[in-house]
Amino acid sequence: MKVLVPLKRVADPDNANKVKVTADGKKVETTGLEWKPNPFDEYAVETALRLTEDGTKPKTRAGEVVVVTFGPKECEITLRAMLATGADRAIRVEAEDDQLDGWLVARALKKLVEQEKPDLVLLGKQAVDGDTNQVGQILAELLGWPMATSAAMIKEDGEALLVGREVDGGVINLKVRLPAVVTVDLRIVAPASVYSKLTKADFKYNEGVRFAPLPAIMQAKKKPMAVLKLADLATDTALRIQYPRFEPPKGRAAGKKVKDVAELVDKLKNEAKVL
Amino acid sequence: MASLGQNLYKADLREFAFVLFEQFRLGEILGAAPYESWAEDDVRMVLSECYKFVCEVIGPLNRSGDEEGCHMEGGRAITPKGFKEAFDKLYEAGWKSLGVGHEYDGQGAPRAVTLVAEEMLSGANPAFNMYPGLCVGVGELLETFGTPEQKELYLPRLYKGQWGGTMCLTEPQAGSDVGAARTKATRNADGSYNIEGTKIFITGGDHDITPTIIHLVLARVEGAPAGTKGLSLFIVPSVRVNADGSLGEPNDVVLGGLEHKMGIKGSTTCVLNFGENGGCKGYVVGGVENAGMAQMFKMMNTARIAVGIQGLATASAAYLNALVYARERKQGPSIKKFKDPTAPKVPILEHADVRRMLLDMKARVEGIRALAVKLAMHQDLAQIHAGKDDALAAEHNGQVEILTPMLKAYASDQGFRVCENAIQTLGGAGYISDYGMEQYCRDAKIFSIYEGTNHIQAMDLVSRKLALRGGADLKKFLGDVGTFAKRNAEHPVLGGAAQQLALAQKAVGGAVAAMMGWTQEGKIELVPLYANRFLEMMAETTVGWLLLEAASIAHDRLGALGRQHPDAAFYQGKISSAVYFALNVLPAVAGRAQIMSGGDDAALTIPDAGFAAI
Ligand SMILES: Cc1cc2nc3c(=O)[nH]c(=O)nc-3n(C[C@H](O)[C@H](O)[C@H](O)COP(=O)(O)OP(=O)(O)OC[C@H]3O[C@@H](n4cnc5c(N)ncnc54)[C@H](O)[C@@H]3O)c2cc1C
Repeated sequence: MKVLVPLKRVADPDNANKVKVTADGKKVETTGLEWKPNPFDEYAVETALRLTEDGTKPKTRAGEVVVVTFGPKECEITLRAMLATGADRAIRVEAEDDQLDGWLVARALKKLVEQEKPDLVLLGKQAVDGDTNQVGQILAELLGWPMATSAAMIKEDGEALLVGREVDGGVINLKVRLPAVVTVDLRIVAPASVYSKLTKADFKYNEGVRFAPLPAIMQAKKKPMAVLKLADLATDTALRIQYPRFEPPKGRAAGKKVKDVAELVDKLKNEAKVL
Repeated sequence: MASLGQNLYKADLREFAFVLFEQFRLGEILGAAPYESWAEDDVRMVLSECYKFVCEVIGPLNRSGDEEGCHMEGGRAITPKGFKEAFDKLYEAGWKSLGVGHEYDGQGAPRAVTLVAEEMLSGANPAFNMYPGLCVGVGELLETFGTPEQKELYLPRLYKGQWGGTMCLTEPQAGSDVGAARTKATRNADGSYNIEGTKIFITGGDHDITPTIIHLVLARVEGAPAGTKGLSLFIVPSVRVNADGSLGEPNDVVLGGLEHKMGIKGSTTCVLNFGENGGCKGYVVGGVENAGMAQMFKMMNTARIAVGIQGLATASAAYLNALVYARERKQGPSIKKFKDPTAPKVPILEHADVRRMLLDMKARVEGIRALAVKLAMHQDLAQIHAGKDDALAAEHNGQVEILTPMLKAYASDQGFRVCENAIQTLGGAGYISDYGMEQYCRDAKIFSIYEGTNHIQAMDLVSRKLALRGGADLKKFLGDVGTFAKRNAEHPVLGGAAQQLALAQKAVGGAVAAMMGWTQEGKIELVPLYANRFLEMMAETTVGWLLLEAASIAHDRLGALGRQHPDAAFYQGKISSAVYFALNVLPAVAGRAQIMSGGDDAALTIPDAGFAAI
């Protein structure tokens, strides 16, 4: 199976207080930020690796995992981290962070999918910076491919995938014909959630994403890393989503003490207006 | 709050990048021999992946390893739950091969990079990291001194963690006085030796992690001279190894017992009886007798640097945890509102005395880290210049010699004190096991004792290192500090601090002269009396110097980037630690020089019976 995994770097969510807005409020200051791969995208890469191997022999790859990101040169370190964990090739589409929105990224990805012809596009269900939760869905629509979002389980089943989708109140199981677009949720990296055809059903993975072993980190730079121009993938690069102004979230107001439940209910009803 | 299996370890990756790339300009030596396979991006990625690994795999075993400790079962030592699995994962991930040469499937990283990775491995779990640390230590010794056959047999397996390692010096009557060792070696016709004797306090002397352990044992061949000159170093596997690397019979190395101790409880500390039944075979390292002490010194120098790193690592972990706690714990109002009973309670981070403790910890931790990386850069530069510019290589090696005892002793003494301050920062919680601070403190105490007590380090510095190469290394060191202090005396922000540094540098020079005077005047016993304090003076001067160097870089960066930049607070923090150290710690260097010039000898003249009437 050939899997394409689009991924994004995000400002380190554990260091959110470092995120600043420029003085004119026009954009988020990106210089000097600590970056991390979007966690859901890391899970997507882990899922892709599990789908292209026999779990007992992870060093022998059966299939191809291609990772792609949109961003400036410094994003290559994020791609390399993925190459080190086992992805085969990387593509960086040259762009500045503020030249992109979900609509543009999805259209560019469509073009890339046409060139790369993967059997599966795996994405994180959302990026933890903008939390827009849309690229996978738009891409599937543009491609006219079947789609499953928020996957917590994927099993390869002939030419199709069995996908367990995380929904309110449980899991919905779908059978998805390939080629397809699937976005993944947190529980996809549990020990028994992803099985390729080669992996036996009693095999258990380690919880979470795999580590990049040191030799693989050093060899990752020898793996292919292509650089494309955004204009090669999308003729119309105008943004649909405009951000007129950014401002940091207001600090939380101090709490209030209430003397009894009656007062609490009253405040919830009349002040907070949540009841 | 920590519970079983939760990782407490934290590292500041921004600080690592600053020290390596901005302060010590590691980038300049990457990409060229012998580090041609390394680029800046590699280093950054290796450090962030290593951090992930330690937090997920070995950090969670720190507290549980402490609580469970090691025990004996059927005559064998059993390590805490999870240690064996974590050890296997560590080697699978390859972190212990970072500094190992390419010829042994390692990554040949610069020492400076390996050192920072080691800080994370040690900091996440100091007791655990002893086991793999000894594999590397024994490997490095055999790589330098072993015969080609010994290298071929042992090195690949030690470097891959298939076999364990120890260094066996200490005996009941031979602690600091290594030369008093009595373990005996008797030559056999086949070139091997029979080993007989008892070693105590041996770290990793037995465990259930690897199927054999390669002990390096200091012993005396029959008829060899007394003292250190007559010691030879033997390779003594706990289970014999055949020439093809397969394992044979047990080698009559018997675990006599496990010590119960204050800290690093996940690390076994063993009594080992060699040849109780006449069946313990050893092989002399490099095929030469009576070279044991010189050979062991090689391992000891590496090990002393490693112990300094342990001190630094534990202190850094304690500091960062104390900082996080101080941001969250609310207690009392701000002093600015002391009259207002309704004033909001503030995080203890806002109280002046808590800030003082935190800045004190920060300055010491960062200063010691700079000292350690400086030492490693000298090692790397010595290697780069060796064979091309031998004079320059010798100069770098000379600085390594001077900095090693300082790192070992100062990092371990201060490491313990930083941990103590971290406890104080948390108040009662610091004393409670759940928060992890008291374990850091207990673990850290051993660092000033093993690998040569800190007094042994101080004597190494004053009686050996200062005189090396006719005093040239000391002169270069004092010259470097002096030049820096002079150049920055008028610095708009750091000028006052640089002037304190100049005074400290002068005081160190004066103290050296005082000690030389004592030696000439027949008052030599004053030298050991003041040696520890001298080492501390010199180490504090070094730390003050390197903190100020960092601050001047930070000051320039801040000027270029402006105060709105996300890194601005980081750089301001660098300036604060340097200024704090220069104005609050460095003045005591000159103070101690004054004490030394008084030459008080009360500790020597007090009658033995005068210490107490018991
Ligand atoms: C947990 C642990 C792990 C250890 N691991 C190992 C190991 O793996 N291998 C190994 O070989 N050893 C190991 N040791 C032993 C350790 O190296 C020794 O304890 C240390 O060298 C000090 O020796 P000692 O305990 O005999 O103390 P002593 O030598 O008796 O020292 C007691 C005090 O006297 C001072 N003193 C001693 N001699 C002099 C002198 N000539 N002049 C001035 N002061 C002096 C010392 O500085 C110290 O303050 C370990 C010890 C511990 C506690």
